[in-house]
Amino acid sequence: MEQLIQYTITGLAVGMIYALIALGFALIWKSSRVANLALGQLVLISSWFTYGMLVQARFPIWLGIILTVIFAIFLGWAIERFTLRPLIGQPALSLIAVTLGLGYFLEGIVVVAWPISVAKLPQIFPNEPVYIGSAVISQEYLWAAGISLALFVLLSLFFKYHKMGIAMRATADDQLAVQACAVPINRIFSLSWIFACIVAAIGGVLISSIGGITNALIETGFKSFSVVILGGMDSFLGCMVAGPLIGLLENVGAGYLTAIIGPGIKDLIPFVIIILVMLIKPYGLFGEERIERI
Amino acid sequence: MSLPCGTRNYSYATDIAIIRTKTQWVMFIAFLLLIFSFPFYFPRFWLDVMNLIGITIIAIIGLNILVGYCGQLSIGHAGFMAVGAYTTAILTANFQIPFLLALLLSGIAAGLIGLLFGVPSMRVKGFYLAITTIAAQFIIIWIINHWTDVTKGSMGLGVDAASIGPLSFDSEASQYFLIISITALCVLFATNLARSRAGRAFIAVRDNDLAAEVMGINVFSYKLLAFFLGCFFAGIAGSLFAQWRGHITPEDFTFQQSILYIGILIIGGLGTSIGPIIGVVFIRLLEQFVTLLAPLVERSFPDIPSGFATGLSPMVFGLVMVVFLVLEPRGLAHRWNLFKASYRMWPFSY
Repeated sequence: MEQLIQYTITGLAVGMIYALIALGFALIWKSSRVANLALGQLVLISSWFTYGMLVQARFPIWLGIILTVIFAIFLGWAIERFTLRPLIGQPALSLIAVTLGLGYFLEGIVVVAWPISVAKLPQIFPNEPVYIGSAVISQEYLWAAGISLALFVLLSLFFKYHKMGIAMRATADDQLAVQACAVPINRIFSLSWIFACIVAAIGGVLISSIGGITNALIETGFKSFSVVILGGMDSFLGCMVAGPLIGLLENVGAGYLTAIIGPGIKDLIPFVIIILVMLIKPYGLFGEERIERI
Repeated sequence: MSLPCGTRNYSYATDIAIIRTKTQWVMFIAFLLLIFSFPFYFPRFWLDVMNLIGITIIAIIGLNILVGYCGQLSIGHAGFMAVGAYTTAILTANFQIPFLLALLLSGIAAGLIGLLFGVPSMRVKGFYLAITTIAAQFIIIWIINHWTDVTKGSMGLGVDAASIGPLSFDSEASQYFLIISITALCVLFATNLARSRAGRAFIAVRDNDLAAEVMGINVFSYKLLAFFLGCFFAGIAGSLFAQWRGHITPEDFTFQQSILYIGILIIGGLGTSIGPIIGVVFIRLLEQFVTLLAPLVERSFPDIPSGFATGLSPMVFGLVMVVFLVLEPRGLAHRWNLFKASYRMWPFSY
């Protein structure tokens, strides 16, 4: 029983981080119907950039974080401007493939710029563990969970009430109609990529302050696809529900199945969930089913 | 402009023939002679590269059926190759099955696994399917890594070089003949498949699946057929790879490989029969060029970062992929056709 509580709490906390990364995905999908498969690489490169600022350049933490956010803004702008904008109106296959190529490119940059491949960020959050009942959890997880909740609330409110957010939703629905209403869709795409990169950068800083920076961050990116799929691609609420759910299934499942199936089952669970969701409810828990016409 | 000037169709047989004129026959036979005489004047290193090119061409042909003709994006092709490779390794080592049968069975095994992961294509497409195939890649590699009784996990399996009857393909040159012959057969099959009823159905499904369904095409069964055929070729490629390399580990079939294959196909040209060949040759030669170039650059600029040599090839490759998608989404095959047309028209502009 004690074990179960421990698994549950760790799972929920890790899941909140998956949810945070998944938010960055949903943001782009919601406004431009582009599937960003370079998610893990974006997280990786912004974590390394933070490392470069905090450890290699020895900036104070607050300055380092601000510089990382500025870097993310630039990255988002550049990606949209030079790879996605020329592809507006191209088939979905090109849009998916271009983010794959982008991910490959970013991975190469990371290897060239930071060949050490494993590193640790300096302490950002206090590291005294928190006791919940009999379970122990490190404070970093709670910070991560809190920050992703706050971002979720902010983004939801933005999309619901802000003029730009409404324009973003409208763009996703019908690009031609939105252009006819004199909404600058170029700026909307640009902005959504910038937001997504900022979210990825924050997620990157949070994860790598917990687990260090390794190439496993890319796999974390893939795991958060299962969050997106389970929650429904265009729903922030879906991300926030599915994230902890995936984290929970992963940790509880790993806790009990390792003895039966063998070690490493933890890495498999999110991918099995993807296949199951595809077979049973392909548009996820909160996703909107698109009805197509010829 | 697909035919040289003055070529006429007098019968249905000449209309559907791939090689039409005497000049084309001469060039075709000269090309075959050139290809099959490579081992006599190329050093071992380049034969090695060309064997890899041949194997990759087979894999990309499969991917082309699935992605280029049928429009079902698969980012797990390396995983399906791994299924073929491990099937061959296990069948030949544990059950002493002759190579040709093992080759066929590897193709079928990979095809069946492909069918399994193709089932979600009944309800989803586009990005959803892409994610499903990514999941397939990770699940297959995970199983290979953890089913240690059969696959020995990350230690990998040793595979003997292929032998057919008394012929044993244990030198690089003999491997070259084996691989290039099977590649030629696969190219022939895929070219004809694209012109058949199934090929036309694939194209209809790709261009508009709803319209295809209204026209009476059974979309789901054709999608599954595309998955089976695409993964069948991947299995054949994996099987050849296993016996050529002699030792296989899960590290040979990473997710990066899958992305590489998609990139090669895009650079070559989706939905063309010449595209996969041009794309593979271009990318494999680019790889060689980058591996030769990186140490040179490092020597001449000593203060560049130490990860330069390893990071250069993914960087160059990712960049080439993005540049092609942005500037020439129809790939090198389209450029090749433009070249042929202008060569036939010369000196007139049209």
